[in-house]
Amino acid sequence: MRRVGVILFSFLLVFFLAACSASPPAAKPAEGTSQPAAQEPQKEPVELVMYSWRTEDKDAYAKILAEFEKKHEHIKVKFKPFKSTEYNTIVTNTLTAGSGVDILQLRPYTIAASIADAGYLLPLDDLKGVSDIPKDYLDAARGSDGKVYGVPLSINSAVIFYNKKLFADNGLQPPQTWDELIAVCEALKAKGITPIAQSGKAAYLLSITHSVIAPGSIGGNDYIEKMLRGESNFKDAAFVESIQRMQELAPFFPQDFVAIDDKDAQALFYTGKAGMYINGSYRLETFEKLNPDMELDFIPGLAKEKGGDAPMVNWVDGSYGIVKSTKHPEEAKLLMEFLASQEFGQRFSDELNRLSAIPGVTPKNPLVQKMTQLSEKSMVPYLMLVHFGEGTPTTKTTFEDSLQGMYIDKLTVEQVADATQASADKWFQPVK
Amino acid sequence: MNWKKHLVHALLLPALVVYVWFQVYPIFSAFWNSFYSWNGLQRGTFIGLENFIRLFTESPFQEMFYRGFGHNVIFFIVTVISKLMVAFILALLITSKIRGKEFFKTVIFLPKLLSVIVVGFLFSLILNPTYGALNTFLSFIGLEEWARPWLGSPDTALYTIILVNSWYGLGFAVLIFLAGLQAIPSEIYDAAKVDGASGLTMLFRITLPLAMPAVMVMTILTFIGAFEAFELIFAMQGSQGGPYYSTDVLATYFYRLAFGSVDGGESIGLGSALAVVLFLMISSATAILLFFFKRKEYEQ
Repeated sequence: MRRVGVILFSFLLVFFLAACSASPPAAKPAEGTSQPAAQEPQKEPVELVMYSWRTEDKDAYAKILAEFEKKHEHIKVKFKPFKSTEYNTIVTNTLTAGSGVDILQLRPYTIAASIADAGYLLPLDDLKGVSDIPKDYLDAARGSDGKVYGVPLSINSAVIFYNKKLFADNGLQPPQTWDELIAVCEALKAKGITPIAQSGKAAYLLSITHSVIAPGSIGGNDYIEKMLRGESNFKDAAFVESIQRMQELAPFFPQDFVAIDDKDAQALFYTGKAGMYINGSYRLETFEKLNPDMELDFIPGLAKEKGGDAPMVNWVDGSYGIVKSTKHPEEAKLLMEFLASQEFGQRFSDELNRLSAIPGVTPKNPLVQKMTQLSEKSMVPYLMLVHFGEGTPTTKTTFEDSLQGMYIDKLTVEQVADATQASADKWFQPVK
Repeated sequence: MNWKKHLVHALLLPALVVYVWFQVYPIFSAFWNSFYSWNGLQRGTFIGLENFIRLFTESPFQEMFYRGFGHNVIFFIVTVISKLMVAFILALLITSKIRGKEFFKTVIFLPKLLSVIVVGFLFSLILNPTYGALNTFLSFIGLEEWARPWLGSPDTALYTIILVNSWYGLGFAVLIFLAGLQAIPSEIYDAAKVDGASGLTMLFRITLPLAMPAVMVMTILTFIGAFEAFELIFAMQGSQGGPYYSTDVLATYFYRLAFGSVDGGESIGLGSALAVVLFLMISSATAILLFFFKRKEYEQ
């Protein structure tokens, strides 16, 4: 009898322990919308919850959204930012669990499309202001049905930031081509200065750096169009050369850069210990906040030859969309109209030093102005994100992880190209 | 007397509802989801075992699975050595006649009071290659050549995380062993002394066999812990199990499959299939371990 009990108990224990171990990580349930106590005679007070992955923008949004709340006194907007790396998981869980959010910040291209296709968003084609936004930008939040599901927020550019003072002190000119970049790196290294403050711990940083280096090997839009038509691919000599160049940059990165966080790499740069730092234009705000006295400037993508075309590498950073299950669609529309307005675009650009996606906005910050001007002159899409963001794992993820593998001597340059192509082969259909 | 029984059942009900809803239901829904194709967040058509077949035969899923599994096995073996053996020795020392027992007990148990995420963050700082305390300390005592990017090198990253995990779980293991050791009646040792048994004989003939239940519980818990290792790796290296998957285990791989990366790329079908495989692996291995230990107990 005792044995039976033991066996039964063991069985239950097995089940219990295994149950504890196999359940997926649970998401925090989103908070419900609470009703403010103040009662207005005409309109019910309404609270809109707005999700974002930009925790660093919280203060700026508080200011900007206060403007909106002044105009619509019965609406309170609750801006809830989450950690960027956890954002997608939180959104997926919130949507599948039935939501506690009205306005979502949408990751661009593939992810926005998949959320729209799953029927979680309201179409916004008729929203006031949407028709003024460039078609290319709206592509970042289009569903498979061709409808627009998000109002694009900002344009990001991948750039090489450099410390003007360090360059001037060492008699260096900002490089335009690959050879010049190497020469500058050599000169800085000889002086004991880290040439490029690069972090390799989060692999996505590596593909951003690659996007700026690549135009020097593959050129601009002609090559990208050839790729999209299937006339060229990742194993093409020009593309392989761009990976090779990434490897050649390794000696100019900080020692053990694969173990270094991006925050540490940024610190190397804004404390003047490194000459250059490569990342998205959104870091401008970070540097101006952390070291306002720094003499900062940037270089767009590399040109193939001296004086040649040096394109800005651009992508839409995100859009705002309305969640279909919102209890306050009218108020959410009002907020979206505000987000699509020039007034918001201007405030957003001024407060956060970013390129607004809304037309007619003139950036206040001279560097942001320079980015806009250079983009108007010549622009290429961030190839990996805009065109190769599909697959499980995405081709972009495969590429950047492979680059990381290359830096720790696990993969050769050719293997990086092969792995990336193998990933694209699984899903990519050339545009005929 | 019958109403008392019913009362007990009634009082159990709330806990049972919570347990079924948060533990049992997700397991069955994962089973269910793993038999379907998925289009982003939408369930597609029923495809039978297709997801499982892809998981084990298609590149890169296949490589990731076996690599992750290998890392889980290493995790288990190294944890048994670095946590269980050390904890057992510490428990022996604490039960023997040393001074300041209570103090040691407290100190060993302290790490467990921190949250895993805090531990991960702290050790990320300690192990930082540029300003981390560990490398600074090594240079200070003249061992510069030992300083290395502990978490940034594929040769050391996994072992480093396992050791941090062992340090974190040491206190709990010591407590369980202490309970097991203190339950052994001292008369047995007295009798053995009279018979002239040496310390080692007593350890292998009395202490270890009689502390077996505690060893069994700890081994099984360690096994489960090793195969569902996630939090610390996620906190220190992110969901990619970097650098280049050198700290990737089945749970981090599952996370990527089910939730994707910042750029997407998730597949709920494949993720659920992996969750099911993990569940079956852990439950069957736990059953085998239990059976094996139980048999040993009956033999004695």
